[in-house]
Amino acid sequence: MIETSEQAAKLILERLQKDFLRKSRTIYQMLVVRDHFSQTFNFFLEIKPKNQREKSIPLHTIENYDLAYLESVIRNLQKKTQITMQFKGFHELVWPESQNRISKG
Amino acid sequence: MNYDREPHGLFFMIDNKSFYASVESVTRDEDPLKSVLVVMSEEDNTNGGLILAASPRAKEIFGITNVSRCRDLPQDDRITAVPPRMNLYIKKNLAINKIFLQFVADEDCYPYSIDESILDMSKSWRLFGRTPLEVAKRIQTAVHDKLGLWTTVGIGENPVQAKLALDLIAKHDDDRMGALTYETFPEKIWPITDLQSVWSIGRRTAVHLERVGIHSMDDLAHSNPYQLKAEFGIIGTQLLALAWGIDRSQLSNLIKPSDKSWGNSQVLARDYVVQREIETVIKEIGNQVASRMRHHHQQAGCVSLMIGFSYVSAETSGKSGFAHSMRIEVTESSDQINQYLIYLFRKTWDGEGIRNIAVSLSHLSSNEGLQLNLFMNPHTQIKHDLMTRVLDKVHDQFGTTALVPASSLLHGATMLGRASLVGGHNGGNSFD
Repeated sequence: MIETSEQAAKLILERLQKDFLRKSRTIYQMLVVRDHFSQTFNFFLEIKPKNQREKSIPLHTIENYDLAYLESVIRNLQKKTQITMQFKGFHELVWPESQNRISKG
Repeated sequence: MNYDREPHGLFFMIDNKSFYASVESVTRDEDPLKSVLVVMSEEDNTNGGLILAASPRAKEIFGITNVSRCRDLPQDDRITAVPPRMNLYIKKNLAINKIFLQFVADEDCYPYSIDESILDMSKSWRLFGRTPLEVAKRIQTAVHDKLGLWTTVGIGENPVQAKLALDLIAKHDDDRMGALTYETFPEKIWPITDLQSVWSIGRRTAVHLERVGIHSMDDLAHSNPYQLKAEFGIIGTQLLALAWGIDRSQLSNLIKPSDKSWGNSQVLARDYVVQREIETVIKEIGNQVASRMRHHHQQAGCVSLMIGFSYVSAETSGKSGFAHSMRIEVTESSDQINQYLIYLFRKTWDGEGIRNIAVSLSHLSSNEGLQLNLFMNPHTQIKHDLMTRVLDKVHDQFGTTALVPASSLLHGATMLGRASLVGGHNGGNSFD
């Protein structure tokens, strides 16, 4: 599936809105995983109500395994949402453009 | 016992440790053996949620078994619950089988279920190691390196030994491997007293065995074959063979069922009591089954309808439901099939609440052109036939929801909601 970073971001936001209900005493986070097995970037919405089990809802899988592309998807997302993003599986990698460590968020 | 004349091959039965949960863990960059994760289906008809799979740690800490109810799962912040993505698991299963094909020829790899495969390694194992265990280890590593998933391997001289080695030994082994041979079979299998834990022995058979004084695999192996056969019929002889680890099946000879049939069934999200709603769902299932049949260029000579009552109705009427079949004039038309189904339904239904509906078509024959009915207008018949074909084509090209009967929009219809499900569970995001 070839999609532009805008399309990817739009789809992720749409799916995010459905379950991002902003309930009280609940932590909402977006999890972005670099999956080196399937060579994809996986997006999840993590919902953690206090003292209850966490729910992790898949939002999207990006097949384009390119950090520059991911950076632009993330930038598009950040224009529209302030949700905390957590990055996993990126180890010491840095964003191609901003040169910041990815795992620092 | 002389095993010389039994087949001596080398079979691997490989399954994935907590398959769905492991796949979900890997996509979240978590170690499938350490994560505490459950896959939970929350479809309307699962009554608050059904646990499809739990990671090994989740099973250990909370004592969850697969197919537990969600209400049995504690609200604990250590647990992560995720929705199922059936399409993803199918994809991963294909990827795993592709890895297996590096070790055996295509015709020696037999997928057994979504997370189990049988490999006939008899011819090829020597290429990959000095001992079967070494080869098994190599396959495990190959799958783990490529997909991050851990597999469990049962090794045997025939398929049944491999399956028992998997279920009874490998699953409790730290290296996730287990082996059985004709020689070690008595020592490892006969002490088993929990008969139900042995593959192919179900609850009722286990109770039956207990009743006739068979309390262990040892007892079973040493029972009188004639008495076993008298008591259990043909299954008795199979049980005896099982107790001795004997399996003469040749996997390459596929079994062809003599009378195939097509069928679909549904558990409804609530009790249905309104006739129109029930009939809508019956017709939707009828359409689905008929369309599957037409895809195989077949027509049916018999329709069957099974209705399961709701809990309350079953209690009050003392019946759990009804099932009826009728022979019909051979047809492939959804409309005609649905008419028969509705007739069967109306004939027996007496206002009970309904929770299960199943439809099947049998007495199939290959469809060679339209058989015109002398007593009906031929033009109408041909038009109907063309219409069906166009509908099927549209559905093939644009999906089953591209064109639906207006009745599927009525209250109570389930077809649109179920269109994206795979095996009754969420298939995952369609645009992934």
